[in-house]
Amino acid sequence: MSIAEKMAANQKQVAISEFFEKNKHFLGFDTLTRALITAVKEAVDNALDACEEARILPDIIVQITKIDNKKDILQLDVEDNGPGIPRTSIEKVFGQLLFGSRFHAIRQSRGQQGIGITGVVMYSQLTTGDPTHVESKIATEATAVAVDIGLDTRKNKAVKSNQDRVDWGDKVHGLRIRTTMKAKYQKGRQSVWQYLRMTSIVNPHADIIFIDPDGQKHHWPRVTEKLPGRVEAIKPHPNGIELGQLQRLCGESSEARMTTFLRRNFSGVSGRAAKELCEVAELEEKLKPKSLKAEQIRALLEAFQGERTLRGKPVKLLNPPTSCLSPIEELLIKKGLSKTIDSKFVTTMTRAPNVTQGNPFQIEVGLIFGEGMAADKPVEILRFANRVPLMYQQGGCLLTKAIEGVDWRQYGLDQAGGRGVPKGPAAILVHLASTNVQFTSEAKEALSDNEMVMEEGRKAMLEMGRSLRKHLEKKKKMGKTREKFELINDIIPAIAEKSASLLQLPVPDLAASITKIMSAVIAETTTTWNKETKQTDVHIILYNYTSRARSYTILVTWPEKQGGKMIGNELGGRKEATGVWAWKLETLQPGVQTVITYSLDNIEKGDWNETDVFYRGSQEVIGATKMDEKLLEEIRRQEEAFIEQENLSKEIVTDSIEEEQSAPVQEEVVTHDEPPVETQDSPEVDSGETKQTTLFGGDY
Amino acid sequence: MVAVRKSVEETKVALHGVVREMYDRIIKGDPPTMTLPVRTKNNIGFDPKLGVYKYGKKQTIRDATSLGSAKQLLRALHVIEFIEGMINDGKSSTLREMYYISEGWGLGKFQSQNESNNLAEDLEIVTKCLREDFKLRPEEDGARMIGNITLQERNRRGQWMRINARDDVGDSGYGVPYNVEKEKIEFLEHDVKFIMAIETGGMFDRLVENGFDEDFDCALLHLKGQPARSTRRIMKRMSEEWDLPVVVFLDGDPWSFRIFASIAYGAIKTAHISEYLATPSSTYLGITADDILAYDLPSDDLSKKDIEALNAELSDPRFADGWWQEQINMMLEIGKKAEQQSLAKYGLDFVTETYLPEKLSELGLN
Repeated sequence: MSIAEKMAANQKQVAISEFFEKNKHFLGFDTLTRALITAVKEAVDNALDACEEARILPDIIVQITKIDNKKDILQLDVEDNGPGIPRTSIEKVFGQLLFGSRFHAIRQSRGQQGIGITGVVMYSQLTTGDPTHVESKIATEATAVAVDIGLDTRKNKAVKSNQDRVDWGDKVHGLRIRTTMKAKYQKGRQSVWQYLRMTSIVNPHADIIFIDPDGQKHHWPRVTEKLPGRVEAIKPHPNGIELGQLQRLCGESSEARMTTFLRRNFSGVSGRAAKELCEVAELEEKLKPKSLKAEQIRALLEAFQGERTLRGKPVKLLNPPTSCLSPIEELLIKKGLSKTIDSKFVTTMTRAPNVTQGNPFQIEVGLIFGEGMAADKPVEILRFANRVPLMYQQGGCLLTKAIEGVDWRQYGLDQAGGRGVPKGPAAILVHLASTNVQFTSEAKEALSDNEMVMEEGRKAMLEMGRSLRKHLEKKKKMGKTREKFELINDIIPAIAEKSASLLQLPVPDLAASITKIMSAVIAETTTTWNKETKQTDVHIILYNYTSRARSYTILVTWPEKQGGKMIGNELGGRKEATGVWAWKLETLQPGVQTVITYSLDNIEKGDWNETDVFYRGSQEVIGATKMDEKLLEEIRRQEEAFIEQENLSKEIVTDSIEEEQSAPVQEEVVTHDEPPVETQDSPEVDSGETKQTTLFGGDY
Repeated sequence: MVAVRKSVEETKVALHGVVREMYDRIIKGDPPTMTLPVRTKNNIGFDPKLGVYKYGKKQTIRDATSLGSAKQLLRALHVIEFIEGMINDGKSSTLREMYYISEGWGLGKFQSQNESNNLAEDLEIVTKCLREDFKLRPEEDGARMIGNITLQERNRRGQWMRINARDDVGDSGYGVPYNVEKEKIEFLEHDVKFIMAIETGGMFDRLVENGFDEDFDCALLHLKGQPARSTRRIMKRMSEEWDLPVVVFLDGDPWSFRIFASIAYGAIKTAHISEYLATPSSTYLGITADDILAYDLPSDDLSKKDIEALNAELSDPRFADGWWQEQINMMLEIGKKAEQQSLAKYGLDFVTETYLPEKLSELGLN
C-alpha cells in the first residue's frame, strides 16, 4: 500500500453537509475576502499536512486569477508535491464534510475538525455553480487522475464528472486544485499574502510561491531541510475525556476486565492506578467494560476527574506523553522570522511541554526587533495554533492576552499604562502546539482562555523581554562607544585643524589630548555576513587609550553548538567552554590597537548577528563586559550535566523497553536529579526550567 | 565691565582669544575647552555702578570630553571663521542665514537655529563684543513707535532721513530698525513727557486710535511680546539721552513680569550687555495683581506653568525688592491673571479715559 492509500484507509465520515450550508458564516466563508483566505488556508493546510505525514519537503504554489471583475469571480489554483490522493478516495476527500483521519486521533495536527477542503468545493458550487477541478498523482501510477468534483449537500455525497487521465511529465506525485468562486482579493493584515507569509514563518521547511491577481510573484523559500518531527497519536488521558467519548470507548471495547481496559485505552494509567480507579469508582476489576451501566460510566468519569477520591486524594495518574507534539523549535522560528522580516535582532523561546486537563501543550514565542518596522505603531502579533496562522479576532485571543499581560516598558517597548499591545519596531510570534486546541468559536480564529497556557505564554514573554532588554542595553553601550570614536576620530582632529588654520599655526599633535579624553581601553566589535564567502566575519578592534601598557584576556561567544566553524583565526587562542573562545593579549601598548579577526563558517545568513565580547583584566574595557567567572563555571557545569544526561537517557530508554507500559521517558530523566516528589504535575514544570535557558542573551 | 563697541581689529583679536584657548590646551596635551559664565539666574547679580543685573563670577568650562561639547567647540570655530570672513569682505548676515550656511560645515553644522543663536551669544559673552561687531543681525524686527519724536535715520544710500514719529508715519508708526546705534539713528528733538512701552499690538492700536499720545504728551512703543534687543536699546537711548521716564504697560501675568525685568534690570540671557540694553529708570505701570482686584477685571486661573514661573520669580534676584515680592505673592494668592485688553470690559475708552490717567497720576506723570 502506498502512503496515500494508507492515509485514505484511515478516514471516517460524518454527514453534516447540510449543517454547513446553513452555517457557512461560522466556517470562514462569511465575507468575500474571508472566503478566499479560507479557501487558500484549507488547501495549503491539507498540502502541508499530507507532505508532513508522507515525509516530503513541501513545494506549494498558490495562484489567484481574476475571471470576472464585475461579479468578483476569482480562480484559485493550488498545487503541491504531496503524496497525492488515490483515485478512489478523491471524492471522499473533496466531497464529504468532516472526513479526515485527524478528526479521531489525539495528536497535534493542522486541520482539527476536517471541515476543510470540502467546504471550499461547496462554496465554489454555491457561488458560481462550477465544480472544483482536481488532479492527483500518486507515485505508484504513471499518470495523474483528473476529475471535476461537485457536491450533493443533502446526501453528503460528491458528484463526479469528466474523469480522465493526464500526463504530468516528470512530476512523480502531487495534487492540483482549481476552483472558481465569488471572492475578493485584498492586501494588508488580513489577506492571502499575510496568511502565506505567516504560514512560511512557522513552516520553514516549506517552499511557498504565491502569484497574486496582478501577476506579481511572491516567493518564501525553504530555509531548512528538516521536516517537523513525526507526531505520534496518543491515547486519551483520563483528565481530558468527556462522558460521550468514554461511553463510546466502553461500548466499543472487547476487553474482558476493567483494569486491562483502563491500562490499554488511556495514557497515564499504570497497573496500580487502574486498580485504584476501579476501587474509587466502586467497579469490580473483572467487570466487562461493555457491560457498564450509565451510572457506572459516570462514576468512572468522576474517578478520572478526581471527584471521587482514594483516602481523600484523587487517584494518581502519570502525565500523557508529549511526543505527540511537534514544536517548530527555536532555531527554525528564528530562521522563519528572519526570512520574512529583515531585522538584526531575533530572540526565540520554546517552553518545555506541559499538560492541561489531560492535553499536552507547548508554547513557543519569537520576537524580532529593529529597523524596517514602524516605531510608533503597535507591534505586529503573529499568532499560530498548531502551525496554522490565526488572522482574525486578535483581541479576544488567549495568545494576545499573554502578550498584553506583560509590562513591556521594563523591556524597552512603549506601552500605555504597562498593559495592552506594546508599541515599537517589533513583531511578536506566539505558537501553541497542542493535541486539543480550544477555540472561542467555530471560526477557529481565537484561542479560549486557559490559565496554564496563559501562564506558560507569559513566562515565555518575560524571558524574551529580558533578552530584548539586554540587546537594547548593549546597543546603547555600543552607541556610546561609537560616540567616543566619533569624538576622537573626527571632531578633535577637526578642532585641531580649524584652530591651527585660524591662528595660522602648525596643526598640533593630538595623541596626548586623546588619551586624556578617552582614558580607557576600547573594544569595537563588528559581526557581518559576507555575501561573497558566505561566512560571518567578526572583527574585534582593541584600542589602548590609556598611558600604560595593558594585558587582557578577551573572550567571545560563537555558535559552536549550532555547528559553526571558526576559521581564519590568526591569533589562535583557546577554547574556554562550549561556545566560548578566548585570547590572551600579553601587552597592549598605549596608543596602539590590536585586531582580533576570524570568520564563522557552516552557519547561514542571519544565524549569528551579534557577538558578545568579555574581558579579564583590571582596567575596564569600554565595549566589552567583565567576565563573570561564575557564569563560565555555570556553562561548564551545564556541559557536564548535559553529557551525563545523554548517557542516562540512553540507559533509561533501554530499561523502558522492558516495561509493559512505556512510561514517559522525560519524566524519569528529570526526576533523577531531584528527590521524588509526589505530584501530578509534570516534573519539568516543577523545576521551572526550560532547559533551553541561554547564558549569553537569548539569541541562542 | 562695560560693553563698548569694538573696532574690527579688536573684534578679531577677541575672537582669536577663543581659538587660542582651544589650541593651547591641545598643545599641552589636554582636551580643548571654552570658558564662559554660567548663564542662569543663579549667576546674575546687581551691579551697583551700572544699576543693572550682570553675570557673576561663576564659570562653566565646556570641554571636548563629550561628543556634544566637542561639537559645540568645533561649531564655535566655524562661526569664528565665518565672522572673520564677513569682517574682511565687509558683509553681514542674519542669524538665520548663518544657520543655513552651517549646512556646509560638515561635522560643525547646527542642528537647530536655537543652537546657532545661543552660540552667537556665547561668543559675545566670551569676547565681550556685540553681535553687531560680528556682523550678525537678528531675524526679529524691532518695535513700532508713535509720538512727537523727531530723529534721523541713515537709509540704504547712506543719506540721513529726518522722520517725525507722529507726523511722517502712518497708523503703524515708525518701524525701529535692528541697528539703533548712533551711526544709524540720531535723536533730534521731542515734545513728550514720557515713553510708554506696550506689550500687545491690540492695546497699542487702541491707544493710537484714541489719540492717547497727543492727549497725554507721550511716545507709544509697541514691544511685540518679549522685546527685541533693538527695542530695548532704543528705549535705553531715548531715556538716557533725553532723560525721559519709561512706563511699561503689560498684561498681568508672570511672563509680563519677566518682560519688565528684562527691560528694567537686564535679561538673564543677555546679562553680559545689560548696561547696554536695560533701562533701570523704567516703571511697571500695570496690569498689577492689585489692578485685577481693584478694577474687578475678567481673569483666567493661573496654569501650572504660570505658578511655576511665579515661584521661580520669587527666588530671582531681580524681583527681590518688597514691591515685587508683594505683587508675585498676591498673584499666587488670588490665583488669577488678566490681559491688558480685559479693561475693555468697561468700554473701549475706559483704558484711555480712566485706567491709564489714574495709574499715571500715581506716578506723578499726569
